[in-house]
Amino acid sequence: MTKQQGIQDSANAFDALMDAAVDAIIIIDAAGLIRRFNRSAENMFGYREADVIGDNVKLLMPEPHHGNHDAYLSQYAATGFAQVIGKGREVLGRKQDGSTFPMFLSVGEIRQEGGNRFVGIIKDLSEVRDTQEQVRQLEEQLLHADRLVILGELTAGIAHEINQPLTAIAAYADAGRNIINRRAEPPTGDIESICERIGEQSRRAAEVVQRLRKLVRSGSVSKARHDINQIIRNTLLLFEFEVKRSNTELNFYPIASLQPLYVDEIHIQQILVNLVKNSLDAISLAGQQDGRIEIRVRKVATDVFISVTDNGPGVPAQNRSRLFESFFTTKPKGVGLGLSICKTIAGAHGGSLKYSQPKKGGCRFTLSLPLEFIG
Amino acid sequence: MTKDHFVCIVDDDEAIRESLRLLLYASGLQSCAYESADVFLADEKPPVFDCMLLDIRMPGTDGLELFKILARRRVPYPVIFITGHGDIPLAVSAIKLGAYDFLTKPFQEGELIGKVRAAISHYRSTRQHLLELQDMQARLDSCTPRERDVLRLLAKGLPNKGIAETLGISPRTVEIHRAHVMDKMSADSLPALVRMITTLEPPDN
Repeated sequence: MTKQQGIQDSANAFDALMDAAVDAIIIIDAAGLIRRFNRSAENMFGYREADVIGDNVKLLMPEPHHGNHDAYLSQYAATGFAQVIGKGREVLGRKQDGSTFPMFLSVGEIRQEGGNRFVGIIKDLSEVRDTQEQVRQLEEQLLHADRLVILGELTAGIAHEINQPLTAIAAYADAGRNIINRRAEPPTGDIESICERIGEQSRRAAEVVQRLRKLVRSGSVSKARHDINQIIRNTLLLFEFEVKRSNTELNFYPIASLQPLYVDEIHIQQILVNLVKNSLDAISLAGQQDGRIEIRVRKVATDVFISVTDNGPGVPAQNRSRLFESFFTTKPKGVGLGLSICKTIAGAHGGSLKYSQPKKGGCRFTLSLPLEFIG
Repeated sequence: MTKDHFVCIVDDDEAIRESLRLLLYASGLQSCAYESADVFLADEKPPVFDCMLLDIRMPGTDGLELFKILARRRVPYPVIFITGHGDIPLAVSAIKLGAYDFLTKPFQEGELIGKVRAAISHYRSTRQHLLELQDMQARLDSCTPRERDVLRLLAKGLPNKGIAETLGISPRTVEIHRAHVMDKMSADSLPALVRMITTLEPPDN
């Protein structure tokens, strides 16, 4: 085999490799002009090789890389500082029709006489992203559904919370009208103060609705810094009626001076709502008249522990290992997703949700959250 | 109807108490209010009133429990329950126990005042009888359990000797109990005494 023959062979092999590759392969020169554009690249970007040979590769990039690519190249030529060479990274590509798609780009350098070349190998991530997005959306829907289910169970209490201020408003309004008609002297203040009370009560009703709207809202995770004590207080307000009706004692022991935690407020509420509702259900199912639920916040080292403890019948030993399993339930009408969802949420916050058996009986769930977690 | 009519409100919601008092006032009715059944029961000298508005759901002793206590004491005034939407079965059992009426929150225009006035005028026409009943019950309550045993057996028509045998005490002791009962119940004759106990505790058929 002659040397010439060998060169010809490897050139043919290279062409075959380029054509057979599932990944898009693009070769550019030091000035950024496209020298090779394989078949997969044609399919991925929608250009024919013949149309883009000699064009600047930034054609395939949306901003900001579109505007910066020439500078990357000259910077690399001058200083050897590489943005992407040898690392690979996820970037956006731009197709001929102007649409963009997620892609994974790895770049290698071909050092040769007559000018270096760069070879880019590109994987289309659209499908991977689509699947991930679908999973994420399904998870969100599940979380949302769980909140709706629980709210459905709390309807009587919520109706009561809204009915109270409405009743007061109606009574104030009737009283005000009677006073005006009869020109009676109001006992304290005047019509103006009656109007103020009506305003106060409407705002009270609006607050209830506001609290609910948050929980009913569907949407993506939005973490921000929140006061954990306040989140717990707001959540417990949802149970005022339920607690009253069942004659259960509900005590909250907040923690003094705790830095705000980086959490999704609704998701933390969701865990608490699930835990408190479970406790109430257990107590009422057992027909207990001396029900007690205790919520405590503690800080140990770098974690915050929020525990919900009740004096209900507790979890039978044979069920403890299955508590967090999906579709495992002991409630007559339960679906068995509450705790498994709660555990997932805890994990997404870098924390955990655990069951333990208090010495005095009953049951305890402890949610731990790291003081510092940016997830 | 004069301003001398008094309504008592027992409700744990401050806004409800205050708005109801104002509405009653604007309709010419005086009122007092308690934040819970327990606070009401702890009041040794509650004002005399003509009607009670009672929240059916309250922390601690709830409305129905308070009503049962009041019914046992045979308080004469009518009780109107304040209920929520899901409370209809509770409200019905309250009526069966002898409550005058119930109101569902939020009230219709004029509904509250209408029912309160109806309750008060009903009370006016039956008050004398009800007050006598309450007084009679208080007198019965002042008897010792043994005295009440004697009284009940008397009402069944047993002679002293029969009562003595039934209770395992001497006829002489029965006589002493009987004298105390006549005295405590302010009965001037045995028939009067029997009438009282059959009014308070109608015999089951």
